[in-house]
Amino acid sequence: MTLAKTISTACLTLSALAAFSAAFAQAPPPPAVSPEMQAKLAKAYARVQAIQDKALTVSNVDELRNLQGIYGYYVDKAQWDDVADLFTDNGTMELGLNGLYAGKKSIRKYLYSLTGGKPGLRAGEINNHFQLSPVITVAADGLSARARWRSIIQGGTYGKGSGGDWGEGIYENEYVKENGVWKLKTLHFYTKFYAPYEGGWTRAPKDSALRYGKSNVRPDKPTSVKYQPYPAHFTPPFHYENPVTTSYVFGADAARARGTSESKPPKTVAELEAQVRALELQVDRLQSAVDVENLNASYGYYVDKSMQDAISGLFTDDSTLEILGRGVFIGRDRVYEYMRRLGAPQAGSLFNHMQLGPVTHISADGTTAQLRVRLFVMFGQVDRAAQWGEGIYENTFVKENGVWKYKNLHGYQTYYTDYDKGWARHSAGMFAPFAGYPPDMPQSVAYDAYPALFTPPFHYRNPVTGK
Amino acid sequence: MKPGFCLFAAAAALYGMSGPLQAADPIVTDNRVITDDRRVAILEAKLSSLNKQVELIQDAKAIERLQQAYGYYVSEGLGGEAAALFSDSPAASIELAQQGVYIGKKRIREFLTHGGEGLKDGELREAPIMQGVVHVAPDGRTAKARWRTLIMSGTYGDDGTWTEGPFENEYVKENGVWKLAKVHWYTTVSGSYDQGWHKKHYPAAGPLADLPPDQPPTQKYETFPSFFLPPYHYLHPVTGKPVAWD
Repeated sequence: MTLAKTISTACLTLSALAAFSAAFAQAPPPPAVSPEMQAKLAKAYARVQAIQDKALTVSNVDELRNLQGIYGYYVDKAQWDDVADLFTDNGTMELGLNGLYAGKKSIRKYLYSLTGGKPGLRAGEINNHFQLSPVITVAADGLSARARWRSIIQGGTYGKGSGGDWGEGIYENEYVKENGVWKLKTLHFYTKFYAPYEGGWTRAPKDSALRYGKSNVRPDKPTSVKYQPYPAHFTPPFHYENPVTTSYVFGADAARARGTSESKPPKTVAELEAQVRALELQVDRLQSAVDVENLNASYGYYVDKSMQDAISGLFTDDSTLEILGRGVFIGRDRVYEYMRRLGAPQAGSLFNHMQLGPVTHISADGTTAQLRVRLFVMFGQVDRAAQWGEGIYENTFVKENGVWKYKNLHGYQTYYTDYDKGWARHSAGMFAPFAGYPPDMPQSVAYDAYPALFTPPFHYRNPVTGK
Repeated sequence: MKPGFCLFAAAAALYGMSGPLQAADPIVTDNRVITDDRRVAILEAKLSSLNKQVELIQDAKAIERLQQAYGYYVSEGLGGEAAALFSDSPAASIELAQQGVYIGKKRIREFLTHGGEGLKDGELREAPIMQGVVHVAPDGRTAKARWRTLIMSGTYGDDGTWTEGPFENEYVKENGVWKLAKVHWYTTVSGSYDQGWHKKHYPAAGPLADLPPDQPPTQKYETFPSFFLPPYHYLHPVTGKPVAWD
C-alpha cells in the first residue's frame, strides 16, 4: 500500500465517521422538556423579544439615517434613477416652491429636467447636497417615520456665474417600511437660501432662492406650504413636539413594532441558546455602528488639531491610508509620518476637517465595517489664504480584540478652492505626492478633481433596489 | 490525495450533515456536565446584560435627537423651546463662546431669549449640529458628547458671517427623559463672509452688558488666528490615553 493510498483510505474512514457522527448528532431524540423548564423557556423568550423590540427601535433609526445619507450622495452626482428608486411607488417630492411631484415616474421626470432631460451631471456642474442633523421620529408601529434634516448645498457650473451657489434649507420627510425596507414617502425641502457665492446669503437678490429646483416640468400639485425664503423669516413646521416638555422617551412603545421578528418560542434550551447568541450579535452590531461613527468623528477632530499621534493611534498596524492624489501609505507609522507632513499645530492656521453625513454598514459577522462620509475642509492661514475643500471618504474598519480601528482610509478629492474665488471659479488640481516622501503605492483609482466629473465608488448597493 | 484535503473532506461531511454552527460549536450541552437549569440561568444573566447594552444604545440615539432638536430651535431663534430642553437641576448650565456661564433653567431661559423669541425678517442664524461623539455612562443616567456647528449668520444687506466651533455637552436622564445638563460651546473661528476669515476674523462673543452671566467664562481662549484645543470629554478610543499635542 502506498502512502498516498493509506492516507486516502484513512481519509475516507474519517470522512465516513464524521458523516456518521454528524448524522447521529443531527437527529437527537427530542429531549423531554419538563413543564417547569417550558415555563422557564417561555419567560426567557419574553425577555428575548423585549430586547429584540428595543434593538428594532435602534436599527430603524440607523436605517433611516443611512437612507437619507444615501439619498444625498446620489443627488450629489444627479444619479436620478437611484434617487427615484428610494421612493415608494406613490411617493412625492417637493423642492422649494416648485410644486409637488407625485409618483416615482413623475419624480424621475422632474429630476431629469434639473439636468437637461437626462440623469447625471453635465461637464463642470456641481450639486453637493450635505445631509445633516437628523431628528427622527418612528411611529409606534415601526412602519412609518418622519424626520427633519438640514442640507447645505454647493451648486453651480465651473466657469459660469460668481463662483458657484451656496444653498441651505430644511427637509421634513416621511418614510414607510415596505417588506422590511425603509423608503421615502414624502420628501419636502424648504429652501432657506440659494445664494451666489459672491456676496453670499445676505447680499443675494431677493428672489435668488427661487432658482433652486426650478423646472419646466409641470408639477402634479401646487406647493403644499406657501412661504417666503430668506430674507423673509420662516420656520418650516416641525413634525415633532418639544422632546422634553412632552416627555419624549425614545422607543417607549417598542413592543408595538413587533411582528417583523422571525423568532419563534424556543422548544429546547439549545434553541434558546441559539436565539440569545443571535441577539448578542445583533446588539453588538448596533453598538458597533455607534463606535465606528464615534471613531470617524474623532479622526476629524484630531485632524483639525494636527494631532498625528492620536490620529495614527486610530489605525491598525497594517492599515492603509490614501488621501487625494498623494498615493497609498501602508502601516500605522506611515500614517503618523503622513500626518506629520501636513504641518504642526500653530497659531495663524485653521485646519478644520469636518466629517459629515456618515452612511455606516457593519458586516453580518460584526467584525468589519464600512463607512461613507463627507469631508468638508475649512482651511486658513491668517492674512494669506483661506480655502474650502470637499471630498468623500470610503473607509473600512476592523474590530481587533474588541476595539474598532481604521483598516483603510480613502479620501477622494472633489474640490479645494480659494475662498476669494469659489469652486466654480477655481479648483486646485489633484494633490500630488509629497516631495521627498513618496507613497508605498501610487494612487489606486485614477480620476481628476472638479471640474472633472467623478463619482467615488459606493461600498453599498441601492438600499431599495439592491442594484 | 493530500492530508489537507482529507481534513477538508471530513469537515465538509460534518458541514453538509449538520450545518456549520453545530459542527464548530464548542459549547458543552451534555446534561451530565451542565444542567439545563444552569444553562438557562446563564442565558438569563446574558439577557440582563444585553438588555442593559441595548438600552444604552437607545440612550445614545435619544441624545442625538435631543441635541439636534436644540440646534433647530436655536437656528430659528426659538430660545424658549431650547431652554425647555434643559434639566431642572439647579446645576444645569449654558456657556457659549466667551459669554460666561448661566446657571439654572431660569437663567438659561433669560440668556437664550435675550434677543427676543423668533427671528426678524432679514435675520439668519443657521446652526447645524454635526459630527457627534456620544458617550453614555454605564449606569445610563448621564452622558457626554462632542459636536460641532458651522453657523451661517447675518442680517440681509450687511456682511454675513461664518462661525465654527465644537460643543462639549452633558446630559442627564430625569424620570426617563433625556435633558441637557450642560451646553458648552467653544468658538474656533468667526469671520467675515465678504472678506473671509483669513482677512477679517472676529473674537469670540463676550458677556452681555445688560444680562451679565452668573460666572465668568470657565476658560479664557482666543479664536482664530489663535490655535486653541477645546478639551475632549473622552480618552482616545483605541489607546485609552488622554489626547493632547505631541
